[in-house]
Amino acid sequence: MQLHSRVFGRGVVALFCATLLLSACGEKKVESEQRSLDFARLDAFPSTYSVSQSRPVLIQGATLLTGTGEQLENTDLLLEGGKIAQVGKDLKAPEGALVVDGRDKWVTPGIIDVHSHLGDYPAPSIESSQDGNEMTSPNTAQVWAEHSVWTQDPQFPLALAGGVTTLQILPGSANLFGGRSVTLKNVPGRSVQDMKFPGAPYGLKMACGENPKRVYGGKGTSPSTRMGNVAGYRKAWIEASSYKKKWEDYVKNGGDEPERDLGMETLAGVLNGDILVHNHCYRGEEMAVMMDVAKEFDFKVSTFHHAVEAYKVADLLAENDVCAAMWADWWGFKHEAFDMTEANIAIVDQAKACAMIHSDSGVGVQHLNEEVAKAMTAGRRAGFDIQPKDAVAWMTSNPAKALGIEEQTGSLEKGKMADVVVWSGNPFSVYTHVDQVFIDGELMYDRADEKRQPRSDFELGILNAEGERQ
Amino acid sequence: MKRVVVFCAFALGVLAASAQAESILIKGGKVHTLGDKGSLESADVLVVGGKVEQVGPSLSVTADRVIDAQGKVVTPGVIAPVSELGLVEISAASSTNDQSVTGESIGSAFNPLPAYNPKSTLIPFNRAGGVTSAVVFPGISTWDDGAVEAQRVFAGRSFAIKLNGEFDSVEAKDVAQKAYLGEAGAQLAGGSRANAYAKVEKALSEAKEYRENRAAIRRGEWRELDYSLADLEALQPVVSGREPLVITANRASDILGAIELAKAFSVKLVVLGAAEGWMVANQLAEAQVPVVIDAINNLPISFSSLGARLDNAALLTKAGVKVAISGPDYASTHNVYLSRQSAGNAVAHGLPYEEALKSISSNVADIFNLQGGTLEQGAVADIVVWSGDPLEVTSYPEQVLIEGEPQSLVTRSTRLRDRHLKPTKGHNFGYQY
Repeated sequence: MQLHSRVFGRGVVALFCATLLLSACGEKKVESEQRSLDFARLDAFPSTYSVSQSRPVLIQGATLLTGTGEQLENTDLLLEGGKIAQVGKDLKAPEGALVVDGRDKWVTPGIIDVHSHLGDYPAPSIESSQDGNEMTSPNTAQVWAEHSVWTQDPQFPLALAGGVTTLQILPGSANLFGGRSVTLKNVPGRSVQDMKFPGAPYGLKMACGENPKRVYGGKGTSPSTRMGNVAGYRKAWIEASSYKKKWEDYVKNGGDEPERDLGMETLAGVLNGDILVHNHCYRGEEMAVMMDVAKEFDFKVSTFHHAVEAYKVADLLAENDVCAAMWADWWGFKHEAFDMTEANIAIVDQAKACAMIHSDSGVGVQHLNEEVAKAMTAGRRAGFDIQPKDAVAWMTSNPAKALGIEEQTGSLEKGKMADVVVWSGNPFSVYTHVDQVFIDGELMYDRADEKRQPRSDFELGILNAEGERQ
Repeated sequence: MKRVVVFCAFALGVLAASAQAESILIKGGKVHTLGDKGSLESADVLVVGGKVEQVGPSLSVTADRVIDAQGKVVTPGVIAPVSELGLVEISAASSTNDQSVTGESIGSAFNPLPAYNPKSTLIPFNRAGGVTSAVVFPGISTWDDGAVEAQRVFAGRSFAIKLNGEFDSVEAKDVAQKAYLGEAGAQLAGGSRANAYAKVEKALSEAKEYRENRAAIRRGEWRELDYSLADLEALQPVVSGREPLVITANRASDILGAIELAKAFSVKLVVLGAAEGWMVANQLAEAQVPVVIDAINNLPISFSSLGARLDNAALLTKAGVKVAISGPDYASTHNVYLSRQSAGNAVAHGLPYEEALKSISSNVADIFNLQGGTLEQGAVADIVVWSGDPLEVTSYPEQVLIEGEPQSLVTRSTRLRDRHLKPTKGHNFGYQY
């Protein structure tokens, strides 16, 4: 008991399910009495995110793409207490509700970008703000992307105007282990904690292929080859396994308290299932290797990012329950991005693997609906029957799954967070605008009302001392 | 009687085809001529000998080949105003790139044309995206994060290509010269945009001096000039007004600087970038300076483009500036065809629809004095038949003609797609092609 309280005192041990909202928790109920080590350090920089739901919202008579494979015509959506309260016909507006005329409008869940560097690579892009890649060692698992986030990056409000309600901010891809990611709600915040998605698990950024070997090989250090990359991952996982065991032995048997290691905590957090692996990996061969590395060390890859060749191994991804985050049509900037097909997302989706769009770009993040539209069209041209009700999942429910927040957001289902976009029409058209964005039921963006369009500090008085950046 | 007429017309068609390409009738599409006839809800386009012969509703003609375009949209082919097509294969693989030189003091004289590879994979890919011709410029290579070489505020000479992938696909040589002002210019000129300005000014001044005193200079009976004779030769078409000088500038004050330089030397100026063009739209219009913009880039990505916004194209066009829309910078030269998505976004932000079509075709042809861009009698038959609205992200080209020749729309992307459509275990995929 004394031992445990001491460890608790340091915040290393927590009840396995106490703070996590992972779907896996339900299945692990049997073990819920068992104490697990909190390598993820979930309480170190706690979320201070909050919204003030001033009033309920009723969107009437819209076309809903639910994110669960349905398109509902002429349907109402009621948001109450920050949650989706009801989906149905002829719903009554509660007293004081904001009523949105949804005729001719389409409604989707808020868009989730699983791959963003906003805040870490902000605009303007100047030397002093390049905070996304700790390019000093191939393993920088100890860094946390949230500690670089400049909350006043003007790209956040631009992404909001594109319907993005949630983003994962990742470290860059120079290193085998780039560090820890953070999932943010796209709201104005004075601190990054003000934006942190409550209860979202952390991610670990890993990178395959050309980048690590170019950066470190170029310095005459390891890795300089793809095989060097893999040796680097395995070496680190061996160390992490032993670190994890050392702490487990300590909790079980007592003795001298082991020394904390920030990098090892992140890797051990992956090994005990608290932290999700987000792996920059272009090539099919490398994805297959990484899934075997995961098996060797008994962890799971959540998602391959920039998975330009995911279509080549789509069946393997499905078999291993690994997601792929892809672009619609970027290619050719590197050799590992040479084998692009525009049908990539569709092929992965049709193989029953979890497929999604991602941006990695301050421009692309504003047009993810258009990127999905292109990918959907490519899928149809390949002969697949893919409708908007299916494709919407590529920017909503599937990225929610990749981030381990699918119980909370990503679909228009009762009880989910009221993260909702009202579109001027079919979202899969270049001419359609985002009319309104609700996050946890609060109107965060309104195209018709400049007062409900947030501006970052940076945008005030920047081109015109008396105005805002246009 | 009718049968006889048809027969005769057919026979004539065959005769014409023997001299050149077969005649083609594109029937019943919505046709955007981008010329005097404007847009026609349902019209036919007759192509004979690589040219547009007739455009109008229900033409009473026959042709060797008929393309049914009912429910489709017919436009001139997309023209990319800036690209590195045929000079770049894989951006991060330097052995496959020829768009720039480092370590040598070549400026305006740099001629990338001998490096042009019409068999590049980027060409069928962008052709399948609806691009029929493109201007190819040299550029600065910045992938390796290395410091760019100083001195070269001029990128060099350019050329225009047809995207038919043939060895004789160079449409025009010396289409324009390219130079850098603003932030990029400052990087190239030792740290200050003022020095970039001074270097361009001096180059134009010496080019004029050279033009007026060529014989003496070549004999060596003249003062020493800063620029090489090769560089000054390359600038002759610019200072004589025969070819435009494309200057990159995004900040409003840099754009005004470019206009000032162009006036001082009577140079035909094109501003490339112009993120803050809307702030000086009237000055651009007054000086009749066209712009080439990345219409989808609204990020204040540098202190030179703080004013970037999605209605830049709309505001510039409204002020009377001729606007060409390039492929988005972020998608690189591999995806120049995405200029149509950018143009669609510009429409969503106020650019009139036909102006948007012009910004990716006829305006580009006008700015660089190229063929194409309209579907009028006598125009080169660079034509795309689209599945629907060409600016819509769910539309795609179903037929592409270049100089009247139907083009293949197969690309590496479609080949890889077809091979791996249903990925399965085993070795069979290796035998599927």
